[in-house]
Amino acid sequence: MEALRDAFDFRDFSKTERIVFGLFTLVLLVFPWLGTGSFVKVVAIQFLLFSLFGMGWNTIGGYGGQVELGKAQYVGIGAYTVALTMVWWKIPFWISMPIGVLVAIGYSFIIGYPLFRLKGHYFAIATICTSLVLQDIFINWKLVGAAKGIELPIHGHPDFLYMQFKSDTYYFYFIMALFYTAIFYMNWFRKSKLGYQLRMIKDDEEAAESLGIDARWCKIKAYSIASAFVAVGGGFLAVYNLYIDPYSVMDLDLSIKIALMAMLGGAGSMWGPIIGAAFLVPLDRFLGSWLGGQKGLTGVDFMIYAALIMIVSAYQPRGIWGIIEQFRRK
Amino acid sequence: MIVIDAILQGILMGLLFALVALGLTIIFGVMDIVNFAHGEFLMIGMYTAYWTSLLLHIDPLITLPASAAVGMLLGMASYYCLVRYLLRGPMIAQLFGTFGLMLFLRYLAQFLFGTDYRIVQKGLLVGKTLSLGPFRFDWTKTAAAMLSLLAFGIVYYLLHHTKLGKALRATALNKEAASYMGIRTERMNALAWAIGGGTVGVAGGLLVNFWYVYPTVGLLFVMIAFASVALGGFGSIQGAFFAGVLIGVIEMLFPIFGHLIGSDFLGPHFKFTVVYFAYFVIVVLKPQGLFGWKR
Repeated sequence: MEALRDAFDFRDFSKTERIVFGLFTLVLLVFPWLGTGSFVKVVAIQFLLFSLFGMGWNTIGGYGGQVELGKAQYVGIGAYTVALTMVWWKIPFWISMPIGVLVAIGYSFIIGYPLFRLKGHYFAIATICTSLVLQDIFINWKLVGAAKGIELPIHGHPDFLYMQFKSDTYYFYFIMALFYTAIFYMNWFRKSKLGYQLRMIKDDEEAAESLGIDARWCKIKAYSIASAFVAVGGGFLAVYNLYIDPYSVMDLDLSIKIALMAMLGGAGSMWGPIIGAAFLVPLDRFLGSWLGGQKGLTGVDFMIYAALIMIVSAYQPRGIWGIIEQFRRK
Repeated sequence: MIVIDAILQGILMGLLFALVALGLTIIFGVMDIVNFAHGEFLMIGMYTAYWTSLLLHIDPLITLPASAAVGMLLGMASYYCLVRYLLRGPMIAQLFGTFGLMLFLRYLAQFLFGTDYRIVQKGLLVGKTLSLGPFRFDWTKTAAAMLSLLAFGIVYYLLHHTKLGKALRATALNKEAASYMGIRTERMNALAWAIGGGTVGVAGGLLVNFWYVYPTVGLLFVMIAFASVALGGFGSIQGAFFAGVLIGVIEMLFPIFGHLIGSDFLGPHFKFTVVYFAYFVIVVLKPQGLFGWKR
């Protein structure tokens, strides 16, 4: 009960933040009816999806301060569980997605146990390695479609059980529901015992351990929470795209994007991942469609993207949220 | 027999891996920063050798100084324009900063040269093989291995037998103490990046003789270099050398091992997966590596 109250209690945010959040919610609710084109709708769905990923990453990467660069493997686990169970046994989405989340949590404990013996750079590179190993296995595993990937059977009619709709509007509201569940969860998480423990570990791990906090166990727990978040998003990706392959759902670039958006927005803050996704997803998409379409300019969009990453990490490592807070203090 | 052949081929390849890892380990040793863009430095080195040999009509082996110079300049430029500022931030910013550099260089290459796979077609050694008894080696690989051995020797001499090298190692061990002794640590950092960029540029120049160059070629090599550096111990030069060679041998032996067992799951397409897996196991079981020298 208390957890629920914590989750819906936004009183400790400033008035401006609450007003902006309310307006933002309102805009999202009416968004599909604003007469925007289908491209904008796709971008909005991507934005909500990446915010979900980013909030997941934020538990371990932001509050826990662990540089985690292997989240794509959990996107893959979530997506593949949903796709495979649907293709093999026709299991509806509403059952297969929780299974995918459970698989991701189980896998994250197995991986996390040895992984959190490591710290710093060693940890960051090791997370990349685990993700690449899993991707290589899926690329070569014939049973799960190997490099070709899997296509989900397409139902001709809208199907709520399998989450197949013609219009993006339904997908939009569905991902929006997931997004708000994530926000309420994060609002509880940052006030929970684990949340405080993680922040302590981030600041000073030795001091935290001297106070009796089992740092490794806390990190593993946060890691599996992050994995669960990301696996939910992966499951959504499978039914949304109706086609998955190891390159689209398990690539290193995806892991990096997830961590990057959270960091650019401001890791370790409630709104950071959302701001980061709101900034980078449209930038990525619009630059891509604007510059990528013109001949001889392929790659320029990514160069701008990369330059932005360099500038932010060099001048304001605390991200956009850090800049906002700087202004507020003045 | 096939096993011995694989081991010898693996050593040749491994010497090149070791040269790639050398730059990474020096940079890490001196300033505790992981350079994600290292593979892209290699890619730039490869393109440099490719274009100079193609446009100036000279043998790709003679273009090595050009690759080295471009690599060094690139390393120094990255240090002065980016890494210097990254050092003030937390570790995550450092990781993403060099990662941004990696993306930038990769897509710059794609913008300039397209996504075509290119390889040096003509050259003194291209396509020739060296027969030693029952074994046959590509001359390109043999020469690359010899030259990377030479480059390794030069860097080792520079670091361990010159005053400059001593200053660099002092900076690596304790930055503050080194600056009290009158060592300009800022310059030492830049030197580390110059050596790192230069060696990996040379490696790229050697590699392009028998390996296709394309904008994303770096990722594979940077992961191998991470594995070598982890195996040898972060910051250790001897470690990088032996680990690079060892990884070359593993990478060649693994498919044969799978073939002998008759297992499909141990085929050649997993030869680099094993390297990633090896990294994971090594750092978990023995974080200081085989030759760790700091901490």
